[in-house]
Amino acid sequence: MANEIRFKLNGSEIVYTGNPSMRLVEYLRGEKQLTGTKIGCKQGECGACSVIMDSELVNSCLVAMGRVNGAEVTTIEGYSKTEKFAALDKAFESVSAVQCGFCIPGMVLASESLLASNPHPTEEEIREGISGNLCRCTGYNSIVKAIEIAAEEGSGLW
Amino acid sequence: MVKGIIAKSLRDALELRKDSTFVPYIGGTDLMVEADENKSYLFLHQVPEMKNIAEDEEFIRFGAACTFTEIIKNPLSPMILKQACRQIGAPAVRNMGSIGGNIGNGSAKADSALICMVTDSKLRLASADSERIVPIKDFYLGRKKLNLNPDELIIEILMPKHGLENYYHEKVGARKALAISRVSFAGIMDIKNGVIQNNATAFGAVSDVIIRLDTIDNMLIGKTIEEAKKLRGDYIQAIGDAIVPTRGRVGIEYRKDVCINLLKSFLEVSGI
Repeated sequence: MANEIRFKLNGSEIVYTGNPSMRLVEYLRGEKQLTGTKIGCKQGECGACSVIMDSELVNSCLVAMGRVNGAEVTTIEGYSKTEKFAALDKAFESVSAVQCGFCIPGMVLASESLLASNPHPTEEEIREGISGNLCRCTGYNSIVKAIEIAAEEGSGLW
Repeated sequence: MVKGIIAKSLRDALELRKDSTFVPYIGGTDLMVEADENKSYLFLHQVPEMKNIAEDEEFIRFGAACTFTEIIKNPLSPMILKQACRQIGAPAVRNMGSIGGNIGNGSAKADSALICMVTDSKLRLASADSERIVPIKDFYLGRKKLNLNPDELIIEILMPKHGLENYYHEKVGARKALAISRVSFAGIMDIKNGVIQNNATAFGAVSDVIIRLDTIDNMLIGKTIEEAKKLRGDYIQAIGDAIVPTRGRVGIEYRKDVCINLLKSFLEVSGI
């Protein structure tokens, strides 16, 4: 019971003393300039603001700063330094799964979340895994293909 | 002014709840849609007593702060509840959204609350000074009106663990993921030695509160399958008469038709 909110962000210890009712996504983009996390709908509908919190995918628009206390948060910037990201990056590139790119940070983190719990998903499981992440460009097929490729080529990473 | 407080134990949480200006916050997936930075939240996600899933002779006991993902993964959770939770939102929403929040939000569209209604689950409510167990049907008083005192919290959901095997659940939404129920239905039929031991139905997203017409459902209890078949028409008629959908984005006639169709499917799969 304190006003001080302590958490880990991309591996670094953070002590936050601002408004606990502020949305995590606003904090990431506004105060930390981590603009890879996008704001799409602010309703938990589009998944553009997805981050990983305590190993689970969450919509950072629906997380108040008070809820972050004690958690470990990874944004696309933190994740991009990992070997797993490299495998997904290569796979997404190989099938041109990126068009405008707005949904991609969220898509990549949704892929990570899926593969972490299910390293060899079926196509149906992939579609379920990214069902909270909307893409208005690709029609999803290339993204699904990219995740299949990452699971195969990156076998053993997850 | 303090804008938010993080409770670390149940005792903490109930003491803090005495100040009713704080809005209880578990997953935030409903609250944060209208995110108001001037609101003060009482954060409950670190209250260990609200995170347990356990069982006793009669009930599976879900801590109010259990997320849908935790419920789906837990072997103690009944299949009917897992099925409903799997259809909530999308993975990121299920990772944060909680059963206690779903119930406390007071919406008749709440997908896990529907299952608590059809199973006649009970809620353990507590304040710093007292505690009470309330059948969930008596918890919903009207649209967004709850039988919850300003100093109380929902601590635990007690779901009866026997007789839930034969169920029928259907969520009708406008899309596959991230759908908000247009109509939802859950039915439980427990038949032993050809005699109906329990028949329970619940209809969500139709009225101000989830509809649970137990008096009408009781028409079939104690009957054999053959007797129930004879009562089928009267039973459907009685349920149809009792369902009065409220005005909403989706038409009244349509929602009523869907309710009756789902009820018929439930009876069919139950052999009636």
